[in-house]
Amino acid sequence: MRLAVCVKHAVDESELRADGSGRPILQGAAAKVSTFDKNAVEEALRAKSKSGGEVVIVCVGPPEAKKTIREALAMGADRAIHVVSDPAGRDSLATSYLLSKALAKAGPFDVVLCSEGSSDTYECQVPPMLGEWLSLPYVGYASKIEVQGAGAKIEQSLEDSSQTLEVPLPFVAAVVSEINEPRYPTLIQIMQASKKPMEELAAQQLMGADAPQSAGTVVDTRVQSMNRKRVVIEGAPEESAQKLLDALKSEGVIGS
Amino acid sequence: MTLSVWAYSESDGVANEMASAAVELSKSVSGSATVVEVDQAREGVSSAGHKLVLKSAVRLGESPELTAEAMFRAAKAANPSVVLVGATRRGRETASRLAVKMKVGCLSEVFRLSVSAEQLRGERNTYAGKFLSTVACKLPCVATVKTGVSPRLADNTGAVEVLEVGDLVPRVKLVGKTGKKTGTVDLKSAKVIVSAGRGVKKKEDLVMIEDLARSLGGVLGCSRPLSSDLGWLPEEHHIGLTGIEVRPNLYLAVGISGQLQHIAGIKDSKIIAAINTDKDAPIFQAADYGIVGDLYQVVPAIKRLLPPR
Repeated sequence: MRLAVCVKHAVDESELRADGSGRPILQGAAAKVSTFDKNAVEEALRAKSKSGGEVVIVCVGPPEAKKTIREALAMGADRAIHVVSDPAGRDSLATSYLLSKALAKAGPFDVVLCSEGSSDTYECQVPPMLGEWLSLPYVGYASKIEVQGAGAKIEQSLEDSSQTLEVPLPFVAAVVSEINEPRYPTLIQIMQASKKPMEELAAQQLMGADAPQSAGTVVDTRVQSMNRKRVVIEGAPEESAQKLLDALKSEGVIGS
Repeated sequence: MTLSVWAYSESDGVANEMASAAVELSKSVSGSATVVEVDQAREGVSSAGHKLVLKSAVRLGESPELTAEAMFRAAKAANPSVVLVGATRRGRETASRLAVKMKVGCLSEVFRLSVSAEQLRGERNTYAGKFLSTVACKLPCVATVKTGVSPRLADNTGAVEVLEVGDLVPRVKLVGKTGKKTGTVDLKSAKVIVSAGRGVKKKEDLVMIEDLARSLGGVLGCSRPLSSDLGWLPEEHHIGLTGIEVRPNLYLAVGISGQLQHIAGIKDSKIIAAINTDKDAPIFQAADYGIVGDLYQVVPAIKRLLPPR
């Protein structure tokens, strides 16, 4: 089976700081493989271990995204395609287009996996857009994927229900992070990752006549103020329990 | 040209939210609003003055792919300037596919929308809710709209137009559906939520936390590790970025360290309180009241002070 996994070189949101005006300092910000993408890589590796084949990592990102790609390769993927493109000003429509072109060039694939959304901006649009660009069936929020012959049975986790869906190969799916526990690469795997094949493509090479213009823009981004009282209650358990209840009653959020 | 705004959601409640958002947007520019439905006009869904029902020989409602194609076919003739789709799990596919078909931009999970002759603007949470972005997209465009923010329009008057969109072939087959036991936990509308995190040492101890929740007239939630890694609670208890976003009057976090992804799901709560042994836990930065202490002592102490239920 030929499996592709799309990964994002995502800003490490826990490390992201604001400047004096409250705007995020994106220049030189720490970045890593988008947290939930590891679940997509893991799922592809498990499918490969059952049916054989190869796992190809596809990433649209700046030159520094090689770090992210190596993280995914270290987990056990076979090779990678890196579409070199600066994320500034690139919306999900353009990103998904580039991914679809890279997948078409490196494919065909039986299964294309993504995660439900990226851990930094969490727009959740690239995976279904990819399905549309590739004219493939798409299943989002997959909590279980079983490939059987020429199709797959997928459990989909929705807000108020779960659905069992049958889909023919090839297809695109996005997994929820509950689907599995991603493996940690060993030191040897990390060292071997840098020797695995990584093909580099320039974004311009992939732009066809149907290439969309980025239409969505980020006008401004500011840190969210967390106007919380931050009252620290200390003391013996009985005493602090009483203080907390008194405070919550005076706030009117619990009955007196 | 007057601006027309379409509203769609496969969920009745969210469809009414989209309807009110569409009415508000269209009013601001003297445009028109249309609620789009598939298969049939649902009785509980408002019309915003004009309802457009898309029909085919196959059922469209279960398939975001077919719904998007039907909307695309209808849009070719009607040329909507803005298409608002509720940011549900299925709505995201409908909107994303429609945007690619129309070759237009798509804003994601926006709220506080405004529109001009040139563009749609909105705000959205980003970087696990640590930052707020103002985003814009030139018209025409599609947008998924954050759920639970807009009021639900209740006005089912106005013209209903039915449009046959032609043949469509489903590729994804629905073979089974199981409702989650939503009756047991309704976190979205809960006034009080007591949530358990990694500080709870074993599954059996959750009884103590749930007991406290009940005594406070609330329900039990949890952070991701408990539902995902440990599997102590079903996924519908999971509060956070990839789980449920809640906004109760009181959110009491018990033994939760306060990862960004968890805070993203609780930040709209009226009052946040926390119990944690680690005084440097990030949850205290996001809380109004914090008890630095052992939950195994503090929780029973609170319980003793509350009247029995």
